Amino acid sequence: MRPVFVAGAGMIPFERQDENTLGDILAGAGLAALDDVDLGKHEVGAVYLGNMASGLFNHQVSVASALVDRLALIPAAAERIENGPASGGSAVKNGVLAVASGYYDVVLVVGGEKMRDVIGPKATDIVAAMTHPHAEYIYGLTLPAMAGMFTRLYMEKYGVTREHLAMVAIKNQENGITNPYAHIQMKITMEGILEHPQSHINSPIIADPLHLYDCCPVSDGGAAVVLVSEEIAKTLKKPMVQIAGFGQATDTHTLAEREDPTELKAVRLAAVQAFSRAGLKPKDIDVAELHDAFTILEIAESEQAGFFKMGEGAKAVERGDTRIGGKLPINPSGGLKARGHPVGATGVAQIVDLVWQLRGEAGENQVEGAKNGFSLNFGGFGNNVLAFVLRRIS
Amino acid sequence: MSNITAYKCKSCGLIMYPYHDRCLNCKKREFEEIEPSNNGKLLTFTIIEQLPWGMDERGRILGVVEFDNGVKALGLIDVEQPKLEMKLKRGWGTVREIGGVKVKGLIFEKA
Repeated sequence: MRPVFVAGAGMIPFERQDENTLGDILAGAGLAALDDVDLGKHEVGAVYLGNMASGLFNHQVSVASALVDRLALIPAAAERIENGPASGGSAVKNGVLAVASGYYDVVLVVGGEKMRDVIGPKATDIVAAMTHPHAEYIYGLTLPAMAGMFTRLYMEKYGVTREHLAMVAIKNQENGITNPYAHIQMKITMEGILEHPQSHINSPIIADPLHLYDCCPVSDGGAAVVLVSEEIAKTLKKPMVQIAGFGQATDTHTLAEREDPTELKAVRLAAVQAFSRAGLKPKDIDVAELHDAFTILEIAESEQAGFFKMGEGAKAVERGDTRIGGKLPINPSGGLKARGHPVGATGVAQIVDLVWQLRGEAGENQVEGAKNGFSLNFGGFGNNVLAFVLRRIS
Repeated sequence: MSNITAYKCKSCGLIMYPYHDRCLNCKKREFEEIEPSNNGKLLTFTIIEQLPWGMDERGRILGVVEFDNGVKALGLIDVEQPKLEMKLKRGWGTVREIGGVKVKGLIFEKA
């Protein structure tokens, strides 16, 4: 297998994009990555598009073919990769394999989703379609509801409190304020979302014990990376950021069938694989982008990926270890909580944010001296998870 | 009472619900069909205030129940103040209308 490098990285702002079609979003993200690097004579050989549900959200299919047409990348190979909210991560993985195998030297990976073409409850229903059809979906189970059931158990077992969850939300929204690509750029306080007697008006219950500010927004947006072989990376005038390893693992479709429903087995296994392939350990990571679709997930993933012992993740948040400037900054971009979560885009956006961090291009959200980064893209409710380790080569 | 069918692996004894084509533990393919016990305990739950399109209600309680014979399943919890480990008995009824069709599922009440 050949080493794979990120030569170009780009994103368009995550927000409600009423003026843009899905095609505009995907093309905008793709161009942002292509404009980030001068590839010279090298042509894009293949395009992988992470997108969860264009057929349901936008009544459009074969979107990868449409994308290469818009970007004049014909006759590049092209396909859409669907893996729920981990579609972006899966698209990156497929791009990595394509370059690593030697089949392609230059690959464009785009992740994008336009979710706001439908009203909120419809988007909730489309996302809920990933639950088990007759053991879960028929009851009205939503992803926030799955997270609510998980949170209740996690709080009970590990002593996580609503204050801890609110600390994650406050930290990530604070990071979002200085991220020009973030959907939510608004400071929130403990008083406003939890402590004040009227705080339930600001942050009503979505799926108890989770409240509004425990959940990511529904967003439109796109992100993209250009992946190249080492031979080509050495010829480009860009800092060399390697995708040093990835991991992917699956778990049971239903939450009910997990022996220990508080264990995110696929997170643990994906992280172990990614670290092993990269030859690094959790202690070597300088910055992490985790899949905080719900605040509890940032805490649980930080433990199950190996950064903190089980039950210590919430304490790390409390100590400020996960803030920018802390021991391990988590989600300096604002994460899904603030950057937003256009489902198919997220896994790619996490890689883009890490590339910017490792190049030293993350502006006010820069983690000083970051050399190694980690991302985790969580599909379903943890039943299909991807982890990546990125490394800057000096 | 007609409701869900669970599956017990004839090789290793693992109890599964819903159906899998191969045992999640030993990968064998022969199963004994079993019915959940009448009673069980509440393993976890949530109260949903934002339901999907087509469900005009608030405060729906869903939870995972472990039946006395080991089957575990999600269902509607028809209890005013649910608590973890609470004893529940199973029932069966309409849980949702999808495309004009009434869909039946598990509804749990206090045992």
